[in-house]
Amino acid sequence: MSHPARLGLALVAVLTASCTAPGGAQAPTAQSVVVDSCGKRLTFTGTPQRAVALDQSSTETLLALGVQDRMAGTANIKTKVAPKYADAYAKIPVLSPKILTAEPLRAANPDVVVSGFRELFTADRAGTRDELEALGVPTFVSAVNCPDGTTPAFERLFRDYENLGMIFGATERANQLAAEQRAIMAEVQAVKREPVKVVWVYSVFKGVPYVAGRDGMPSQISRIAGAANVFDDLPQEWPEASWEEIARRDPDVIVIGDLSERGNPGDKASEKLAMMREHPVVSQLKALKDNKVIELNGIEMDPSVRTVDALRAFAAGLDRIAGRG
Amino acid sequence: MAEAAVLDEAVEVPVTPVRRDKSVLLTVVSLAVLIVSLVLAVGIGVAASWPEIGRSVGMRLGLPVVPLPRLLDSLIWDLRLPRVLLAALVGAALAVCGAALQSVTRNSLADPYLLGVSSGASTGAVVVVVLGFAGSQLGVTGGALVGALVAFGLLMLLLKRTGLDSSRIVLTGVVVGQLFAALTSLILLSSGDADSIRAVTSWLLGSLASARWTSVAVCAVVLAVGLLVVWLCSSALDGFAFGADTASSLGIDVRTTRILLLVATSVLTAVAVAAVGAVGFVGLIVPHGVRFLVGPLHRRLLPLSAVVGAVFLVWTDALTRVLFAPLEVPVGVFTALLGVPLFLLVLRRRGEL
Repeated sequence: MSHPARLGLALVAVLTASCTAPGGAQAPTAQSVVVDSCGKRLTFTGTPQRAVALDQSSTETLLALGVQDRMAGTANIKTKVAPKYADAYAKIPVLSPKILTAEPLRAANPDVVVSGFRELFTADRAGTRDELEALGVPTFVSAVNCPDGTTPAFERLFRDYENLGMIFGATERANQLAAEQRAIMAEVQAVKREPVKVVWVYSVFKGVPYVAGRDGMPSQISRIAGAANVFDDLPQEWPEASWEEIARRDPDVIVIGDLSERGNPGDKASEKLAMMREHPVVSQLKALKDNKVIELNGIEMDPSVRTVDALRAFAAGLDRIAGRG
Repeated sequence: MAEAAVLDEAVEVPVTPVRRDKSVLLTVVSLAVLIVSLVLAVGIGVAASWPEIGRSVGMRLGLPVVPLPRLLDSLIWDLRLPRVLLAALVGAALAVCGAALQSVTRNSLADPYLLGVSSGASTGAVVVVVLGFAGSQLGVTGGALVGALVAFGLLMLLLKRTGLDSSRIVLTGVVVGQLFAALTSLILLSSGDADSIRAVTSWLLGSLASARWTSVAVCAVVLAVGLLVVWLCSSALDGFAFGADTASSLGIDVRTTRILLLVATSVLTAVAVAAVGAVGFVGLIVPHGVRFLVGPLHRRLLPLSAVVGAVFLVWTDALTRVLFAPLEVPVGVFTALLGVPLFLLVLRRRGEL
């Protein structure tokens, strides 16, 4: 398979001065970059110097691209930033520990706003994309949050690197990042594994487990590693399931998300495991009795630059279980 | 007739010159407080110093001032000013609706949300969030408005053939509210998405962060009309306090007036809830507090409730902007936290506690 990201690449072009801009008002200069991002065409006449990231995954993506010195702020960091980015992250102002609203965002005087989720751009949150566009502030939304129905999640992730790389003039780093992550994917895919059924338990909220459906990263992670997600029939990212339904689908392997960095009661993988061992039905599962359990960092199960870490750890977990017999 | 005579006396007593002077003075003072509050509240929050606010407003007035940076100017002009004004408008609308409904239903626990309009609004908002239109221009506001009006339509349909007596209005309102609350839960549960649940929950508690000039304009027009309608019904509202029979013996067309008041308060509530969510407490307590100050006559109670409601919400919202900055706490949380001690203070001053 050649690089589908390149084939399916959203229109990204370095325009020359001879091109006419659609609006005509501002003819792009030789340096301007045009990127399509989730329904909006963004034009950059210079490299952004005051980027604001609205959430953890977009913050970490920008840090991975090494543009921290051009960030005017971050917000909504739910767990710790990955250790390798901690130093860079410490230098960026935190505009809000939770969801950023319009006033502090505009007070930070950004020249681009990067978000992992469209929903962060509403009037009562960061302000709408239209408002910010009218103020001359382009809004970038991750392609992961904007599925086109054909491009797999990992490829959409790589498309983000590519687009952000062009916007921030960090194309080389972006290509390198995508290449590294593709290599890890290929490495995991190259190993022949026993086809196992796996359930991903992300969190347990009020006694109800939230599992990986078809639309999140775990579904693709399972496929790459030669396994099958038992809830692939549910067209959601993290649908809620019942313990009985999990037991009925009788998975060979159970993946448990560890969210202890988030710090809510029941967020630790060990707490979820204890809950399952106490459950009258789930505790009878063969996977649980044989201890075929893989604990992964929950935040890495969501789409971000860290998702490949979950892929690698998941594959290692499968190999450990298989090797043990 | 004996009852009417008693009533006449009760109505006449407060209209002595002394009380009238006091009430005029109170209105003038409260209006002055409102204006000062509006001005001060604009200066409260992130960034935006007084000179900057002056420059932003000056630019609009065509004064020769140094223009502000674009984003800072938009923070002041597009966000802060409409937010403060919307707080005033919504506070006034809720307080007036509460006062009117407390009389129409003869129930001191009545508030603007009693008739299920806000439950309808949340159903509408939830439908929009779950279907994923939340980011669009109309989005949650439009959905909430449609939901509120549907709930109100259902209420009027259920009350159509009845005599519109107080307890029936209350019960029908509660039933409609329960129905829409159940629908909201059903939609939320079947969508099963933690993020949309969180979005709706915080919207329900009320937030003025989404205030823009369009919502200010809509609320201002609706409030002006609604306030006028309710105020014109002042004497009928006074009469309702003594029951429907007494009111009709005073020459009030009870049914028509009640319908008019239900329509006016429901539309006011619908627009307020659609703009900022269901901000609690203001519509329940402000009318009681004001009644302690100026007595039960609606000709005075209504305007003063409007002003006090406005001042109250302007200051509570200003507090939510700074207390946990940059975090925004839903304003509904603070209306109660701040309102309860204030209300107890009024009770105490009146010697009722």
